[in-house]
Amino acid sequence: MRTEMPLSKPIRRLLVQTEELLDTEISLLRQPEAEPGGTLVDKYTYDIESNVIIFPAQYVGLLKDFIIAKHCTNLLIKGAAAKRKEYRICSYTEGSVYTGMRQIYLDALKDEAKKEKKLPVQKLIQMLFILYTHFNDDINEIPWNAIMNASVYHRMPKIRKTQLYHIMKESKNDMDEMMEQESIVPRRYFVLDKAMFYARDMFLAKTLPADELMPVLNIPQMKKFNHLEVKEMLTTRWTQTAWYQSKVFGDNMLEIIDKPLGLVNWAEEPSLDYFYDLYKVGVLVTDNLLSYMTMRQWFTWETPKHLLESHDHKQEYERNALKKIFGDLITDTLEDL
Amino acid sequence: MPLKEAVELLRKGIAYAKRTKYKEALAFYEKAISLDPKYPEGFVLRASVYIETGRYQEALADCNRALSLDQNCADAWSKKALGLFYLEKYEEAVLAGTRATSLNGNDAGAWYVLGVCLEEIGKSDEAQTAYGRSLELEIILDIQAESKKIRK
Repeated sequence: MRTEMPLSKPIRRLLVQTEELLDTEISLLRQPEAEPGGTLVDKYTYDIESNVIIFPAQYVGLLKDFIIAKHCTNLLIKGAAAKRKEYRICSYTEGSVYTGMRQIYLDALKDEAKKEKKLPVQKLIQMLFILYTHFNDDINEIPWNAIMNASVYHRMPKIRKTQLYHIMKESKNDMDEMMEQESIVPRRYFVLDKAMFYARDMFLAKTLPADELMPVLNIPQMKKFNHLEVKEMLTTRWTQTAWYQSKVFGDNMLEIIDKPLGLVNWAEEPSLDYFYDLYKVGVLVTDNLLSYMTMRQWFTWETPKHLLESHDHKQEYERNALKKIFGDLITDTLEDL
Repeated sequence: MPLKEAVELLRKGIAYAKRTKYKEALAFYEKAISLDPKYPEGFVLRASVYIETGRYQEALADCNRALSLDQNCADAWSKKALGLFYLEKYEEAVLAGTRATSLNGNDAGAWYVLGVCLEEIGKSDEAQTAYGRSLELEIILDIQAESKKIRK
């Protein structure tokens, strides 16, 4: 471990254990502008020699310890899969970008037909790829976030209060995503996005266990759906609201997350095999969530290098997909992209 | 009362230290110290740069100089505890940390270092209390920082 700093004993042990299991080195880096949840820059994803966990400079105590614990777990999962040469993430190709963007376009058209105030065509076109990559980011994050948090909870009892604070904060920030775009994002995607976060939060509320994490208690827009009676549901128009629909879809997604994760023995002796099994569970949850959202064809399991290369080609993929969807009609707009 | 010029130099040094430009920060702190050697804050700030750059003995010396000017300088006790932690003098670090936290109960970092050192000397229960206090303060600071961001 490079970068000396005061660390509580369980965290030091975890860092040493991670380095030993993976035969690698981890550096800790404080940065004033770091993400609140920290960042892991690892050698299994990027072309670098060792691994760096970056956290906000103002976190001097247990808040940083939790970030380190979470990212060590993430590193163990990635590393265990990479050592078997099986580490893959959800990437995209020119073909899959077209599939996803076309589907979003068709759904957007359906929504737009019902709207009085139509979205300007230019904006609608720009939204397609933004929304597509948004789901790519989220699907590469949410299942793993649930797994990391469950693992940290079971393995590091002394930082549970810190964990709860971090999760509650993260949950609120995640639910705030897309809020400003609610009126322009096709309803289906707004709902699916919120539903994924809802499911993760419900899973963690059950795992920790912490009622305060339940979105119907923690998220202002969902509070009205707590203890909603059947009669009320029938006599009001709750079912028409995006947040209620998010809850319904989210409850189904919770089952998708809960089923495989419910079978994990979190107390098992940590080994590369164990973390590789967690990786496989993460892949299964991801696949099942994608199937549930009918997005299985949107993404493809590839090496992290593939995703980095796809990011480099994203403008080209977007342009080609738009050309395929709109034909010659799009020429002027493409010049503005 | 510290000299106004010295305070200004320290302020500039802090801005550099925040951006991890320790060499520049040190230059400002040294000027401030030579201008007003009776102002403990200069020594405390220089000690923190020494700690960041691994010069723990020099950091301790500066903390002691600051404490000779003001025995109740909480920051000097806090930095001293940190320096002693790095030198693996945990018993002494606990004494310094205890003094720091009794003088300023709102220093999340001091409570945390105290917790780590208490853990090192096997006082696990007391360590948990110190960690608990540190966490409470960190959360308050974090919430305040968040609200500040939202207001902006």
